[in-house]
Amino acid sequence: MGLCLIFLGYVIGFSIYPNGGGIAGLLIAVVIWFVMSLVSYFAGDSILLSMSGAKEITHDIHPQLFNIVEEMKIAANLPFMPRVYIIDDPAPNAFATGTKPGKTSIAVTAGLLSRLNRDELQGVVAHEMSHISNRDVLFVTFAGVLLGSVVLISEVFLRSMFYSSGSSRRYRSGGKGGGQAQLIIIAVAIVFAILAPILARILYFALSRRREYLADASGVRLTRYPEGLASALESISTTDLNLASANKVTAPMYIVNPLKSEGMPLSDLTSTHPPISERIKILRGMSQGVNYLSYQKAFSLVKGQVSTIIPASGRKESEIIPIRKASVEPKKEQSQKKGAREIGDLIRAINKYIFLTCICGLKIKVPPDFNKPKLNCPRCGHELEVPLAELAAITTAVGSVIPKETEQKEKQSNLEPLTYKRQGKGWESFLCSCGKLQQISPMFSGSQVVCNNCERKIEIIN
Amino acid sequence: MGILLVVILLIVVFAVLFVIGVFNSLVGLRNQVKNAWSQIDVQLKRRHDLIPNLVETAKGYMVHERTTLENITKARSTAMGAQSVGDKAKAEGALSGAMSKFFLVVENYPDLKANQNFLAVQEELASTENKIAFSRQNYNDQVLFFNNKIQMFPSNTIAGMFSFKSEEFFGVEGQEEREAPKVKF
Amino acid sequence: MNCPVCREPMIVLELDEVEIDHCISCGGIWLDAGELELLLGDSVEKNKLLSSFEIDKTTKEKARKCPICLKKMQKVLCGIDKKVLIDRCRRNDGLWFDLGELEEIIKMGNFDKDKKVLNLLKSMFKK
Repeated sequence: MGLCLIFLGYVIGFSIYPNGGGIAGLLIAVVIWFVMSLVSYFAGDSILLSMSGAKEITHDIHPQLFNIVEEMKIAANLPFMPRVYIIDDPAPNAFATGTKPGKTSIAVTAGLLSRLNRDELQGVVAHEMSHISNRDVLFVTFAGVLLGSVVLISEVFLRSMFYSSGSSRRYRSGGKGGGQAQLIIIAVAIVFAILAPILARILYFALSRRREYLADASGVRLTRYPEGLASALESISTTDLNLASANKVTAPMYIVNPLKSEGMPLSDLTSTHPPISERIKILRGMSQGVNYLSYQKAFSLVKGQVSTIIPASGRKESEIIPIRKASVEPKKEQSQKKGAREIGDLIRAINKYIFLTCICGLKIKVPPDFNKPKLNCPRCGHELEVPLAELAAITTAVGSVIPKETEQKEKQSNLEPLTYKRQGKGWESFLCSCGKLQQISPMFSGSQVVCNNCERKIEIIN
Repeated sequence: MGILLVVILLIVVFAVLFVIGVFNSLVGLRNQVKNAWSQIDVQLKRRHDLIPNLVETAKGYMVHERTTLENITKARSTAMGAQSVGDKAKAEGALSGAMSKFFLVVENYPDLKANQNFLAVQEELASTENKIAFSRQNYNDQVLFFNNKIQMFPSNTIAGMFSFKSEEFFGVEGQEEREAPKVKF
Repeated sequence: MNCPVCREPMIVLELDEVEIDHCISCGGIWLDAGELELLLGDSVEKNKLLSSFEIDKTTKEKARKCPICLKKMQKVLCGIDKKVLIDRCRRNDGLWFDLGELEEIIKMGNFDKDKKVLNLLKSMFKK
């Protein structure tokens, strides 16, 4: 693909300005590639994460997801814990990103969390963790950028050819023979500019499909449970939702192709992901344990071809690793309604909504930009106080700087025990004495929380 | 004469460099083993910390399962006292066995299974069990690398010279461990 | 999310696993895509109601902006015997009901036999 780009740059440069233009075009192409690579290397992950609207979470917000990522980090023997993100999107999907080993992230969508049980989620996270440990993110970043550069250069060249009718070239073509040669070169450049992006795409997608298979194989080797990933892929494939924030270049980052509805006839060559049904078949065909050799055998059996997916070092592995038993948790069959609620509340908690429960049983969720201190329950008319002090505190803090001394005094004077009584089983919010909003998740089980602003302990009565 | 001297000198330099290289890689591998071991240790400690919470939450609901709960508490204190890798593996294996029995019994207590506190502790424990399994997996991999290096030629001569000893695998031989079904959620 | 009429932030109400966005100043209700279907449950009448939607181009009522995509919504007539004019997002993000409109639609359809949905709505706004 690099050759593709270099050759493209050379031919275009040569066709515009034959004396040394080839080298100049080549240099320009390489510079474009280099600059784009640098940008995506240093900022690519944050661009991708913010483009997809991902929100970072902690252990408290979704203990299960966080634990699973931790488990897979241990299994993959990674020195650093990736950061965990949730994307507010009903389409089930996940991706990993981060080009530097110390700064990686795994993001899953809300739709994925609401559909998969623990084993299935573990399978998906293991697949993503394998992308990180195989350094696939780096590959996608650089190859993706390379593809982007090829597409960009060809596009610019073709458009400029189309709009300028070549009047400027008339003054440069000295002899008759020279002009003809240049015409041929221009023709070659045009053909190449059309072909290069297609070629680069096919190469890119073939490579990225291979990486998907490899990530499946190493993911399964981490969890020792192929059925987890297989059934996760199965339940993901039953949805026809498209991920709102994905595009062609970022698509290979996801566990399944986020752009399903773009059904092209060339889909086998230009698809970033292997067909899900095939991936499932291979996973279910792994009869001899979960090592790479077993995956390779299952792969050859399903595809009916001998192309190797697993590098030689992996295939040498002779030790048979047995498949573990399924876990006790049943498949998620809870009502769609309830699943949607749980995830909705999760996203709201991340977005700092305030959860109130009226005495009549109505649950009220107040957005953070709500600006009235009191609220009448629409059901029973009971007046509820909205813990808005945090917002007020933020706005006053901007206007006036509170001297540190008084702040400390406040801390000391407020040391009498603070308690909060839980009202139900859902998300609940209340204010610490310092005005910081506290959120309790349905999974919260402790007897106290520590305010992360003033470090005061607040006792929770269940 | 001069050429011979240079050749001998070169051979000596290469031999020294080779010994240094092998020695460093052995030390690196041994540190990897130690690091992997400390990872298991962290998870085992976490399990020990979580068990009292679990027993406390379950006690109220499982009045007829005194012995199951007592077995867990007993297995925990034995495991906490164990010192060598072999003893530890055995004791932790027994604890895993007691835990899996407990989680089988839990199925008969729907009230307990609906308890939010219990669910939270259960998720933490299930995850810790997994983490123990995965870090053990990793530890054994590292020990295998290290032991292979020590026993294979030519690194075995250098390992012998600096008295590197092979490390113990963690708990594949533990009988209880093999029989007890692993608890996962 | 802000109310498409008064631009105030809406609050979310949840009762018995039914969730709606509600504006406390004007009393309007926003239902995300699919929420109406969830609210009505599975029945023949539900499908009848959902297929009764037709775009009304003659109305003079002011167009409102979808609280999710912020684009202008379509005016849609819906209902089986009597037509009620509601707003629908062109991207299918959801539906907006002014005060009382949702109740009216649910009341006239025959699909809510045991009045479950209606009672729920009523109990949500008893005052």
